[in-house]
Amino acid sequence: MFNWMRNKRMFVLMIVFIVFVAVLGFSIGDRKKLSWPENFVMDASGFLQEWLYRPAGYIGGFFEDIATMRELSKENEQLRITAAAYARDKINYNQIEQRNIELMEALEFTERQKQSNKYNYLIAQVVSASNDPYNPTIRINLGSKDGIQPNMVVVTTKGLVGLISRVDPFYSSVMPITELDVRSPDSKLIAATVLREGKGKEEQESFGMIESYDKDTGMLMMTKIEKDDKLKKGDVIITSGLGKVFPYGMIIGTVDNRQVGDFGLTHTATIDPAADFDKLTNVFVVQMPNMEESGQ
Amino acid sequence: MSMQRIIVVMLLFFLSEGTIFYWLLPESLIGRVVPHFMLAFVLFAGLYRNRHTALILGMSFGLLQDLAFYGKIIGVHAFTMATVGYLAGLLMERKRSTLFMAMSMILMSTLVYDTIVYFIYSVFKLTHGTFQWALLHHILPSLFLQVLFSLALYVPLRRWFESSGKKKSDEDEE
Repeated sequence: MFNWMRNKRMFVLMIVFIVFVAVLGFSIGDRKKLSWPENFVMDASGFLQEWLYRPAGYIGGFFEDIATMRELSKENEQLRITAAAYARDKINYNQIEQRNIELMEALEFTERQKQSNKYNYLIAQVVSASNDPYNPTIRINLGSKDGIQPNMVVVTTKGLVGLISRVDPFYSSVMPITELDVRSPDSKLIAATVLREGKGKEEQESFGMIESYDKDTGMLMMTKIEKDDKLKKGDVIITSGLGKVFPYGMIIGTVDNRQVGDFGLTHTATIDPAADFDKLTNVFVVQMPNMEESGQ
Repeated sequence: MSMQRIIVVMLLFFLSEGTIFYWLLPESLIGRVVPHFMLAFVLFAGLYRNRHTALILGMSFGLLQDLAFYGKIIGVHAFTMATVGYLAGLLMERKRSTLFMAMSMILMSTLVYDTIVYFIYSVFKLTHGTFQWALLHHILPSLFLQVLFSLALYVPLRRWFESSGKKKSDEDEE
């Protein structure tokens, strides 16, 4: 009798273990739709966490503001200079935009081509953030009902924060770009280029792939840069939009240094990320026009 | 205190982990000092109630944590918390544990918990740091928080878990 009980317990344990391994394996990687229990738990916890995160954020932010009070006047001065530069550029921009539209008309661009660079920025509030060092997911209060889809890009005013990893009806998970890793089973590479200021457009455009993040140094790795590429230290790196999965022109960071890559054929650069990843309150989800169509 | 109340308190602590506690931590410690409040509750359940309560609480709250912050994988915390809670219950259930015994048990269990979590993540190739790095980066700093948290809540938690299971254990002993 006892022996039989023992065997039964063993059997149940084995089944439970196998189920766990199956769930673990199944839940890795891209899943377009989640099942209803997942959706329910994720939405319910998001709803409750939302009531706690924002007040905590206000209080925490208040103390941080007091601490950084002194930097305020310096920041103000900087903003004034930027505003003056903006006013100058705005006139220039209006002219160029007008000219651009005329040229598009003249070349008979289709409606889709005209719209392809018009991104929709959806503002989202952060509802909670995971403390788990292996899975620092940030949860935001926009979901599939608001048109959010996996792999959309999430930015703050400073730069690229992450990618949407999971979507449920009213909330979604953001995986920060600090979790990019070319060796992981669900790795994603972001095509990047250099933000060129001024008129030197004739020179060849830079190209590289942001592929992983070094947790010790806090730097992103950009690989597959051509040897004769003009990328140099201090350049601002933006997403290139090649491949049409990620939008164009999201600031990623600045080049910290550049060295010969592992095989000597291409170069790699380390990028200092522009955005903060901790204690966010508001973020923007970038909706690409063609993504909206394909989603329906 | 009845089990329902304990679950409500646990839910409150779970919700505060990712929100209030996250804001209380200085920015440099985020990702280094990891709160394991749920694990502390589960271990108390194992030490002062019985191992089956710990197993069920561990599995459900682990799964809750997995789902609420679903980004990469589901089931890591559910599996680990259930296992560690059950083992703690198995070892300590029949003994009368003192404060010191309970604290050292919680310390050991948290260490085991973090180790298992690390190895699951590295088996699925979701983390590539060495174990030594993980140990120094977040496992050891989190232990301090865990001990502080369990010390602070030692008296109420012990009373809740012991009293909620009293009827059964009294019958068993006599």
